[in-house]
Amino acid sequence: MSALRTAWDSDLAYSFRRSPVAVVAAFVTLLLVLAAVFAPWVATTNPFDPASLNLMNGFSRPGEPNAFTGESFFLGTDDQGRDVFSTILYGMRISLFVGFMAVLFALVLGVFLGLLAGYVGGWTETIIMRVADVQLTFPSILVALLIFGVARGVIPIEHRDQMAIWVLIIAIGLSDWVQFARVVRGATLVEKNKEYVQAARLIGRKPMAIMLKHILPNVLSPVLVIATISLALAIIAEATLSFLGVGAPPTQPSLGTLIRIGQDFLFSGEWWILFFPAVTLLALALSVNLLGDWLRDALNPRLR
Amino acid sequence: MKLVLTAALLAAALPAAAADLRFAATSDPNTLDPNAGNSAPVFSLLGNVYEGLVRRDREMTIEPALAEAWEPLEDGDGWRFRLRQGVKFHGGQDFTAEDVIFSYERASSEQSDTSSWFAGVTSVEAIDDYTVEIRTEAPNPIFVDGIANWMMMDSGWAAENGAERPNIEQGNFATLNTNGTGPYMVTERQPGLKTVLTAFDGWWGEDRGNVTTATFTPVQNSATAVAALLSGELDLIEPVPVQDAERVDATDGVNVIRGIEARVIMLGFPHDKDTLLTGGENPFKDVRVREAVAHAINVPAILQTVMRGSAEPTGQLVSATTRGYTSGIEQRAYDPDRARELLAEAGYPDGFAFSFKCTNDRYLNDEAVCTAINAMLAQVGLKPAFETVPVANYWPALRADEHDMYLLGWSPGTFDAEHPIRFLVSTPNEEKLLGSWNFGGYSSPRIDQLLPGIQSEIDEEARQIMLDEVANIVADDVAYVPLYIQPLIWGVRDGAEVIQRPDNFLNIRWINLPE
Amino acid sequence: MLAYIIRRVFQSIIVLLAVGLVAFSMFRFVGDPIEQLLGQERTVQDVERLREALGLNDPFPVQYAKFLGRAATGDFGISYRQSRPVAEIIAERAPATLELAFVSGVLALGFGIGLGVFTAIRRDGWAANIIMSASLIGVSLPTFLIGILLIYLFGVQLRWLPTFGRGDVVDLGWWTTGFLTSSGLKSLILPSITLGLFQMTLIMRLVRSEMLEVLRQDYIRFARARGLSAKAVNFRHALKNTMIPVITVTGLQLGAIIAFAIITETVFQWPGVGLLFINAVQFVDIPVMAAYLMLISVMFVMINLLVDILYVWVDPRLRIDGRHS
Repeated sequence: MSALRTAWDSDLAYSFRRSPVAVVAAFVTLLLVLAAVFAPWVATTNPFDPASLNLMNGFSRPGEPNAFTGESFFLGTDDQGRDVFSTILYGMRISLFVGFMAVLFALVLGVFLGLLAGYVGGWTETIIMRVADVQLTFPSILVALLIFGVARGVIPIEHRDQMAIWVLIIAIGLSDWVQFARVVRGATLVEKNKEYVQAARLIGRKPMAIMLKHILPNVLSPVLVIATISLALAIIAEATLSFLGVGAPPTQPSLGTLIRIGQDFLFSGEWWILFFPAVTLLALALSVNLLGDWLRDALNPRLR
Repeated sequence: MKLVLTAALLAAALPAAAADLRFAATSDPNTLDPNAGNSAPVFSLLGNVYEGLVRRDREMTIEPALAEAWEPLEDGDGWRFRLRQGVKFHGGQDFTAEDVIFSYERASSEQSDTSSWFAGVTSVEAIDDYTVEIRTEAPNPIFVDGIANWMMMDSGWAAENGAERPNIEQGNFATLNTNGTGPYMVTERQPGLKTVLTAFDGWWGEDRGNVTTATFTPVQNSATAVAALLSGELDLIEPVPVQDAERVDATDGVNVIRGIEARVIMLGFPHDKDTLLTGGENPFKDVRVREAVAHAINVPAILQTVMRGSAEPTGQLVSATTRGYTSGIEQRAYDPDRARELLAEAGYPDGFAFSFKCTNDRYLNDEAVCTAINAMLAQVGLKPAFETVPVANYWPALRADEHDMYLLGWSPGTFDAEHPIRFLVSTPNEEKLLGSWNFGGYSSPRIDQLLPGIQSEIDEEARQIMLDEVANIVADDVAYVPLYIQPLIWGVRDGAEVIQRPDNFLNIRWINLPE
Repeated sequence: MLAYIIRRVFQSIIVLLAVGLVAFSMFRFVGDPIEQLLGQERTVQDVERLREALGLNDPFPVQYAKFLGRAATGDFGISYRQSRPVAEIIAERAPATLELAFVSGVLALGFGIGLGVFTAIRRDGWAANIIMSASLIGVSLPTFLIGILLIYLFGVQLRWLPTFGRGDVVDLGWWTTGFLTSSGLKSLILPSITLGLFQMTLIMRLVRSEMLEVLRQDYIRFARARGLSAKAVNFRHALKNTMIPVITVTGLQLGAIIAFAIITETVFQWPGVGLLFINAVQFVDIPVMAAYLMLISVMFVMINLLVDILYVWVDPRLRIDGRHS
């Protein structure tokens, strides 16, 4: 209880309470995340179960009964007869999962390499930073294609539909770690000359312990900000890869895949297939971005 | 890299209602060399520039072009062509028998991608300047149908520019430049960006509309193309995505022209392997399992929703517009109960797992169609491991036998029912170029036995009897599950008169644009 | 300093070699180029002959070595798809991408700095807050969707602007420009907004936070105390001092604009190198993919090098702090 009390009284929480934008953004984010996590209970159907679909339900208008089956869906159905509302919830699960995991992957990799580069220096630093340069060169589309290709050769056929998700995570994570590494390296370069680090070194602590126990906590603020914004970017990157044809599988559409499918129906008048997923993505990414924005200002002591 | 012919060639006066056509399609021809590419985009564009001895009319029937007439040789093993006189190439050279001999050597050379058209040809001889005899190993009733895309090139021009042979890998003068006898000449070529065709005044024919210049732009994203058509930046686009057809048609100022392509979309099976990719024995060897798949798929529903009523169902490998079509073979009806029954009879009451591969960038709405099929297969208890891949990865995987069930579209190049028999159902035989697209390894001794007869029987009726027998075997064996015939949907500016053929070639000379 | 630069150039070359090696090892996963070069009536002999002629039977290190050998002399090989020299194709396509990137960059920089300064000065004003939040919408939707929506609104519904392509271009011999015709200029509007939106938001935020920081520095306070006008303080003193990080980030972002113009070019059918690259992936045009990646690497490596040198020059302690990426 006292921990909660402390958290509530902290500067961060104070700044949060004072920012209506942050409060609304956090509320929307929480709502969407919960809806995604509890999708099987919130959704009216399971669009990922192919046996339950009826193609004749396809293109039902929102709230109107289908001309063939008479069924009605309040956000309409897509081209496969999937309920758009349920598909958005399930799709958001995929998008959030891909986003979280990709950012986590990029964060762990980037922070570790950044610490190493900044603290150890020398050849280690050179190699890491030049590998980062190589990484920047490759459009994530090509990274995704490569990993898809390799994965197809390695993964047994029955796990292929799961494969696409992991390929996306790795492809997005790989194109994202560089910025973590750069920021952490920069911050580490500053921190490592400070007295507390020199003191730790003098008393004989191991480099790994110094990096993780002493330096890491002091470079975490910018990492947190980047991670928040990266989450929004990763969710959008997934949509973009989907547009280029290497996204989530069509049987398990993510929010991005739904938008890619939906944009095919923009001219034909079935606006709801694009509109609702796009609005959901916008709400999700915008709230996460707003939170990131607030966090950036709140964690920057020089701006208070 | 641009090439612009001299202004003198362009400045010629043209009929009164001269019009400029701006059109777009999804893919750019990868070459302007008629022997370096054997694909629809290449022949569609070059068909306006080069001409063959024969050509297809509006109904796909063979008609005279640079040959005025032809007849079988006295012994039956070949054909005699009488060439049209007074025909000029765009560069001013006369068209003679010498050019036919040269074009044969060029098109059948080992560097050419069209050499298989001349597989049975033993010699091509000029009897005089305007008579050519083409000898074949055996009588060949469809030889003439097979050479409608064999285009005549001027021998002198090719020699002057070092383009006597096509060069697929390095390219040469003929990759970017043309010199045909056709109604239009290429006056500007920027590969991948823009190709401009201008009417050729010295053309021998008369059947030409009012298009004097035609600008072709490849636009890959069909939504972008639709937007450009709606906003009036283009006069003709192909294809209009099936879902947009209705809306485009209803918009003022634009129209939709629909037709049926000769391309049949079907499902293929693994016939000759013992284990599936997912492990376990291969149930598709049992005809009841294949039949169950056919009954499991609700083709009418796919056509109704995903294809928006634009395509026609089919029960065989060719469409009704194809020569040698067999009437009376219907598609197996959608009957999920029957499918489950058949599966149970075959010993798979609970279904089984297998890989189901599809393209996602090759055929109209291929991914959506396959997603729907995947659901339908699941509904009768099957457990497909469904995967869509870009076509660049698709064919290599099929050739490497990394497939169980798969999607395939086939358009018969000769517009004869013999074509899919040769490529899709003959027992694979590399040397004879048989069954080269029969990825599943389907094999029927009776069909293999009938094929040579089909290829050499001159008598139409006797030939049709053999074709009918093959079509029935293929249907009874459920060698493939034919689904539907792909539609052709073009979008045009209001008032434009356009002729659409099942081969999806765009003949500019048949287009009339309003003022 | 010189030693540092030499060392960096040397490292950069190794980076380029590594990029090439990675690139070549991945090409075979993209697909088989033969499939789309030959028609459905191909023979086995055709396939074998072409495979041999294109050197596809060589193991990838050999293909890579051959590529390097030729690339060293400026020869990037012959495009499989177009059967002509890759260097020629890229030279033909580069102006389109560079002009688009230039206009996007100018838009991003102009609006980014302007709005950034405004939101910093009016930190707590309602207008600034609305701008700050609204600018996030642009980075909360995928680029392709923004492009398609712009096309739908301004191209199809309102019919004000062209929906695809570059319009009429003027050929200057070695360069084609869309700046000299009205259709060329109109064609630039939608794609450059689509491409520049992300960078604009980024620059605006950067300028704002740098400004906020500078504005609370002592010398600014003194300047104010000395009675200098707000305008003079804000622009002559504060803005000037925010410029170095802005310039470096913009430099890095210029690379990103060019490298990631792929999506915008695909949506708008913009005839630049990004579209060329996407087509090359589709048709497994290995020489084009290789050359494109090498060019992008050279660009990134050079920009990185310049940025790092700039930092050393500005701050001799080599203190490279947060690059605001």
